[in-house]
Amino acid sequence: MMNSTSTHFVPSRRMGIYEPIHQMGMWVDFKGNDCLDASPPMILEVDPKLDNQSEDTSHGTVGPSHKYDQEASKPPKVLRRLAQNREAARKSRLRKKAYVQQLESSKLRLIQLEQELGRARQQGLYAGSALDASPLDYAGCTNPGIATFELEYGQWVEEQDRDLSDLRDALHSSETRDSELQKFVDDGLRHYFELFRMKAIAAKTDVFYLMSGMWKTSAERFFFWIGGFRPSELLKVLLPHLEPLSEQQCLDLGNLAQSCQQAEDALSQGMEQLHLIVGEAVAKQLGEGNYLPMVGAAIEKLDDLVRFVGQADHLRQEILQHILRILTTRQAARGLLALGEYFQRLRALSLLWSSRPRESS
Amino acid sequence: MQQAIPYRNRAPTSSPPAFALDGRSVREQVAEKAVVVFARRGCCMCHVMKLLLHGHGVYPSIFHVDDHNEAEVNEELSKIIGAAAPQLPAVFLAGELFGGIEKIMGAHISGELVPRLREARALWL
Repeated sequence: MMNSTSTHFVPSRRMGIYEPIHQMGMWVDFKGNDCLDASPPMILEVDPKLDNQSEDTSHGTVGPSHKYDQEASKPPKVLRRLAQNREAARKSRLRKKAYVQQLESSKLRLIQLEQELGRARQQGLYAGSALDASPLDYAGCTNPGIATFELEYGQWVEEQDRDLSDLRDALHSSETRDSELQKFVDDGLRHYFELFRMKAIAAKTDVFYLMSGMWKTSAERFFFWIGGFRPSELLKVLLPHLEPLSEQQCLDLGNLAQSCQQAEDALSQGMEQLHLIVGEAVAKQLGEGNYLPMVGAAIEKLDDLVRFVGQADHLRQEILQHILRILTTRQAARGLLALGEYFQRLRALSLLWSSRPRESS
Repeated sequence: MQQAIPYRNRAPTSSPPAFALDGRSVREQVAEKAVVVFARRGCCMCHVMKLLLHGHGVYPSIFHVDDHNEAEVNEELSKIIGAAAPQLPAVFLAGELFGGIEKIMGAHISGELVPRLREARALWL
């Protein structure tokens, strides 16, 4: 759904204040009363409950205008970045609007279909139930929490792509100071934490969806482990790109790799246990027809699944943090770039795979 | 490579019988054992915790909580720690609440777990 081919978008999240205040050109009144009609109508029409960013212009304060006035005194690189951010934010909002409209029409169509189905069933024409699991995942269409997650994840990927491009430029420039690189590292880490936060919310909404990996590309799913990437894989990907490492660093990273593997194995085995328990609960007293108590009991056990995804993400977070702490600033920056590019390549692989020419039979 | 000798005490390391649980049992377990894990029966997170501890050569006592003793156990635990009852599974080291699965994982990754286990005399070496 959110297969974006453009890498120029960035959500206004990071700016902290509402982007359109910059992007609208000459705002007369920040209380949102007078504004030039650049693209405000779309903002006001967006469904508030899908509104994840602080898009309420009526919250404009003195702050934004102050920042806008100061813009002229910033270095050109920052100005360019700000302008690109504005543009990206504008495009992001357009996409969001289009997406929401698509959702609305899909929802209407679904209601239509259900009604037709109901009528057909009444007439005895169709024995099945509309609730039968379809091969396609309807989670995105019928679960607003998941729809929100997919939207936010799409934006997250776009921002990731942008950040990686900036990081690459910074690393290749001989002028970049360590302090600047450290900022990239901190922001990069924070960006991953943001994803974990989003996933935690989505897990509560529909943990099966998160576990399915349907929100990621197919190649990423190939490497999937409890709702995301394998932490041990992380270390394996990064290590060759961090040379030269000091002896102490090698030691620390080796210990970290070992602890990581142990933790991963423990979680994997815990998951196997959960499989067993849920499987047993579902399979209890088969043949009696009445499935509700068994299925009910199984559902209770699935609460543990949400915790597993949470613990797996927590492990990812800890490993990431510890790796970056062991490394020097420059190594950490290179590491984050390598990691980001690795996932980009997996996404590219998925895209190429799905668009490869089919052999004619 | 851990060459640990797990702390052995008078009480058996297998879990106490479910029907005998009362406040005193909870307190006994916490006070007497170097490592006690309070968990619901069949809890998969507890399984993960056990595996991590086993990896360090520590074989904790598991105190099984189920529907009929849950309220009592929670009450006793909250009295022991002086706060709301901890989320299960919960690990006590040397009579003190160490934390849940997240804490154990975090400590395992950061390297903090082994020294804490040693302090609690769950590990010798």
